[in-house]
Amino acid sequence: MATKNAEALAAANKKYEWGFSSDIEQEFAPKGLSEDTVRFISAKKNEPEWMLEWRLKAYRLWLTMTPPDWAKLDVPPIDYQDAYYYAEPKAKPRLGSLDEVDPEILRVYEKLGIPIEEQKVLAGVEGSRKVAVDAVFDSVSVATTFRAELESAGVIFRSISEAIREYPDLVRKYLGKVVPQHDNYFAALNCAVFSDGTFVYVPEGVRCPMELSTYFRINAENTGQFERTLIVADKGSYVSYLEGCTAPMRDENQLHAAVVELVALDDAEIKYSTVQNWYPGDENGKGGIYNFVTKRALCSGKNSKVSWTQVETGSAITWKYPSCVLSGENSVGEFYSVAVTNNRQQADTGTKMIHLGKGSRSTIVSKGISAGRSNNTYRGLVRVGPTAEGVRNFTQCDSLLLGDRCGAHTVPYIEVRNPSAQIEHEATTSKISEDQLFYAMQRGLDQEAAVALIVNGFAKEVLQQLPMEFAVEAQKLLGISLEGSVG
Amino acid sequence: MSVLDLPSPKQEEWRWADMAALQSAADAAPHATGVDPKSLFLDMPGPRLLFVDGAFEPAHSVPGRVKVERIASSGDHPLGRLAEGEGWALKLASEQAEETVQIAHLGTGGESHVPARIAMDEDAVASVVETYAGAGWANRLTHISLAKGARLMRSVRLLQAEGFVSLRDEAEIGEAASLVSIFLGMGGMGSRIDGALTLTGKGAFAEMGGALLTRGEQKQECAVAVRHQNVDGTSRQLWRAVAAGQSTASLAARVEVARDAQKTDGEQSLRGLLLKRTATVNLKPELEIFADDVKCAHGATVGELDKRALFYLESRGIPEARATALLTHAFVADALGRIGDAAVREAFAADAEAWLEAAL
Repeated sequence: MATKNAEALAAANKKYEWGFSSDIEQEFAPKGLSEDTVRFISAKKNEPEWMLEWRLKAYRLWLTMTPPDWAKLDVPPIDYQDAYYYAEPKAKPRLGSLDEVDPEILRVYEKLGIPIEEQKVLAGVEGSRKVAVDAVFDSVSVATTFRAELESAGVIFRSISEAIREYPDLVRKYLGKVVPQHDNYFAALNCAVFSDGTFVYVPEGVRCPMELSTYFRINAENTGQFERTLIVADKGSYVSYLEGCTAPMRDENQLHAAVVELVALDDAEIKYSTVQNWYPGDENGKGGIYNFVTKRALCSGKNSKVSWTQVETGSAITWKYPSCVLSGENSVGEFYSVAVTNNRQQADTGTKMIHLGKGSRSTIVSKGISAGRSNNTYRGLVRVGPTAEGVRNFTQCDSLLLGDRCGAHTVPYIEVRNPSAQIEHEATTSKISEDQLFYAMQRGLDQEAAVALIVNGFAKEVLQQLPMEFAVEAQKLLGISLEGSVG
Repeated sequence: MSVLDLPSPKQEEWRWADMAALQSAADAAPHATGVDPKSLFLDMPGPRLLFVDGAFEPAHSVPGRVKVERIASSGDHPLGRLAEGEGWALKLASEQAEETVQIAHLGTGGESHVPARIAMDEDAVASVVETYAGAGWANRLTHISLAKGARLMRSVRLLQAEGFVSLRDEAEIGEAASLVSIFLGMGGMGSRIDGALTLTGKGAFAEMGGALLTRGEQKQECAVAVRHQNVDGTSRQLWRAVAAGQSTASLAARVEVARDAQKTDGEQSLRGLLLKRTATVNLKPELEIFADDVKCAHGATVGELDKRALFYLESRGIPEARATALLTHAFVADALGRIGDAAVREAFAADAEAWLEAAL
């Protein structure tokens, strides 16, 4: 996906590479958050009554909650009344060919680096590559592709608002089952005002014929984006889902509070990969996205497996803990993460592995890279319940420091209530050694290329978990994110 | 003292704390404990002080150089700041050495708060042994300051049969000075061992560690932060937890390395051993690093005894219970082995041994 185009490469003057914004007429909900806003969003999306009630319940819960303060983050106070909670591109008739697509949107796709073939696919023309893209442009899905092919396999791949209308029973059965409305402050906010997102259902025994992907874009000034993703893998099925994110350059901080819920039944497997490259703010920490995301998977079935892979290079503040509740017997949870922070970025990210099922296993590999004046924290929890026999966990968290103005922190929690568990935790903190740099440079690399090479080597274990196209983009991202951090 | 003033488990630093046990210990009416105060002292020369329910007891004490005096409240630790009033102070001048100072705290019920000050000038050397016994809530704040080259060995054992012991240590360790504090938590009480050690001088050494042995419904925990503020500092945090019955042992240890504390060498080793299905061990080995030329390693493991090691011992004719005790003892000995004085170390090991005999 998203091979960078020449224009973007030329613009690599340490400015945000995808820092552009496009003017598409928005239909805004009034500024501020109240029950009326929630009703407006629900009405706008033609939602059934139960959905509105569900949102209102979440809103009322949210009013009683306070933002979490335990993370190692310095979050400026957020005025939730000074933001728009809903914006969608003007409704257009369904498109037949590429020419009919709003040229603004096409230009955004181009800057995003979406290959022309994929752009055609987005417009409904049969493409050559088998990647289904559900483009979330601001808050509403503009196009969903490959629907027919997916449907012939029985896979449901919809924007969540469509799914609520077309498959209400299915959505109702799983929505909020992994991340309930009262889970945390940001999740409650998301439940109340989520604008759109993705719903995937893979039926029993089906191996999803292609990798599913969604581009997330935050586009309108002062528009918080509240995505909601729900993926259900029925017995014996498999799905790989890619989530890639870019956002335009803005001076004002933008809030993003997404919720992702995954459910894996017996023998099912979900692979969820993220490359997150939202605007991180400038060198002085001005602007940038606040990324407060709740991602959780429920491995409820026997032998089910969920694998999270994330490359986090963007956002001014990241608060994100993709987790696995391993309640199925012999279920498997994996978490592979690279988090890069530069300038004034702050990241507090990690995972939770909750072992409830017998013989459940988990692997955590986290690589934190801090540069500039940034702070990078790994925060993780491994919990073993009293009835979970034979649990196995391996955790490795490595930190790399570039420069002496940044911070690298490791906060692993281990809570074990069953003696048969084998829990291992390893951590290291290091810097790029003079020897490594010297060696790479005397082979003809300049300093930035040498640093990028060494950093990519440091993060290799995680990058190789990514699907091929993502891995290529992620490698470049690591290099670009660290530009100007050494020397 | 009202329950409203106590930290709540909703606070991140107190999430494993058992403030309900503290409250009920504080509310317990005084009663006879049957503990002979003499038994709380090791047979070693040097000053001895006995505090009963927080009050100095001259009849059983030989204070020597240790002063009993009023000490004002200090710090902002939610429990530590409560410790004010009559306490003990050990001040050593330059190059002075002190024989083993023994402090015993006997509680009969209710709450007692005792502050302490240890201030050591350049190259002074001392060893302090503290023993807690009886019942009630014993709350202590110990402030330690070590000047250049001073060395303090501190050994603390919590033998209270019931009640709760909360300890707060605040230490500043100067250039090339060394502080080693080793704790043995056993007995039947709940505990919270809180520490903030700051390495202010170049090349300072700080160690805080020990063993928590829990059984029944007990909850014991430590929460220690070592702060490196200067270059070439070394710190060690070696903790072992053995949990039996339905008990919980929690170890939280943090190393903080400030921007200027280059060449820091920090090591954390947290290990938990679960003797029973129903027991819980919580670990949190935390690193917070702002300097880029440092060596910080932490290791954490939880599990049961190695089956192969058990099998080996049994194959040599050692009964299962004895083999389990041997291996558990070795597990705990790692931490207690850091006590410098052989006589103290052996006394602590004997206490741990007695606990194991009873628990297994």
